[in-house]
Amino acid sequence: MTRRAIIWLSLAALAVCMLSSCSSQSLYTWYGYDDAFYDNMKKQSKKSSEKLTDTYRLLIDDQKGTRRAVPPGIYAEYAYVLYKGGKTEEAIEMFRKEAEIYPESAKFIERIIQNIEK
Amino acid sequence: MKPQYLISIAILATFMAGCVSSSSTVQTTRGMKYESLYQENPRSIVIMPPINLTNHAEAKDYFYTTLYQPLCEKGYYVFPPALTLEVFQQEGAYDSEEFIEGDLGKFAEVMGCDAAMFTRISQWDKAALNGTITAEVEYTLRSTHTGNTLFQRSGTMILDLNDDDDDPDSSLADAIAGMIVSAIATAGTDKIEAGRKCTRIAIDDLPYGYYSPLYLKDKQDIAADSVFTKIKPS
Repeated sequence: MTRRAIIWLSLAALAVCMLSSCSSQSLYTWYGYDDAFYDNMKKQSKKSSEKLTDTYRLLIDDQKGTRRAVPPGIYAEYAYVLYKGGKTEEAIEMFRKEAEIYPESAKFIERIIQNIEK
Repeated sequence: MKPQYLISIAILATFMAGCVSSSSTVQTTRGMKYESLYQENPRSIVIMPPINLTNHAEAKDYFYTTLYQPLCEKGYYVFPPALTLEVFQQEGAYDSEEFIEGDLGKFAEVMGCDAAMFTRISQWDKAALNGTITAEVEYTLRSTHTGNTLFQRSGTMILDLNDDDDDPDSSLADAIAGMIVSAIATAGTDKIEAGRKCTRIAIDDLPYGYYSPLYLKDKQDIAADSVFTKIKPS
């Protein structure tokens, strides 16, 4: 094997390594969601809940993660905020979106919509 | 040896060291260790309110917030955490002690979830003088369809906030100054940091879910130990 071949093989191995197990690509973009969720759990203030709601909007509007999809549950979380704010129509629309992109949630979401429409 | 060879050997060595975890013990694959999980292939997980065995009442809700994001990144459908917690509180399902060993069929029926993630917090401590924050948690994923335990790990995460520059020549005054610095660092660090790290490490060994490109492709990966203790300078 020539020197050149060995160098190329090493570089190829390195590239494979970086592309596979060594790299950690996120499925979703999070926009500090963890902190916003925790902060709101802790403070339960108007400011912390607004911050969390803003984060939901970002999570819905601007996904750059590898899935290019809104993370599980986020449409429903946002819908619930809308519902509590009296925006029932919009809330139902958002709940439906959750069930649409994530059929796993359909049963749960149906139940919630039924409760809202009662 | 020619320098080019040395470079390529160095690159290869880095590759081996960085990507292959060497272990002398008998290695179990995820496929073997989490056999029942691969049989059921749950797509959706509901996070149960944590069982808090500590005397820090706030740990329950606070720690709860650490679970959602890592489970999503593993590729699972995770039920909306804030909404689910409120529903559980209203429906009297806030105390997971009642369900952790019981029948979970009701959850599958009402929510349509495939699995439930239970956690037991046994430590949630901050020791300012030692400069450490500790979280100790047991994670149990159970099937709502069969009741089987699909995944279980138990971890202790110790955040060490001490300034580790132990200079043998340093004076007593320096040592005391160092202690004050680490006590302040500890006081200013939220306990959630230890909880988050603990969860991240624990969930790291959970097989990938449906929405991950690695779904069902990790059966041959070497499984991590069921019990772990990690000490990390933060």
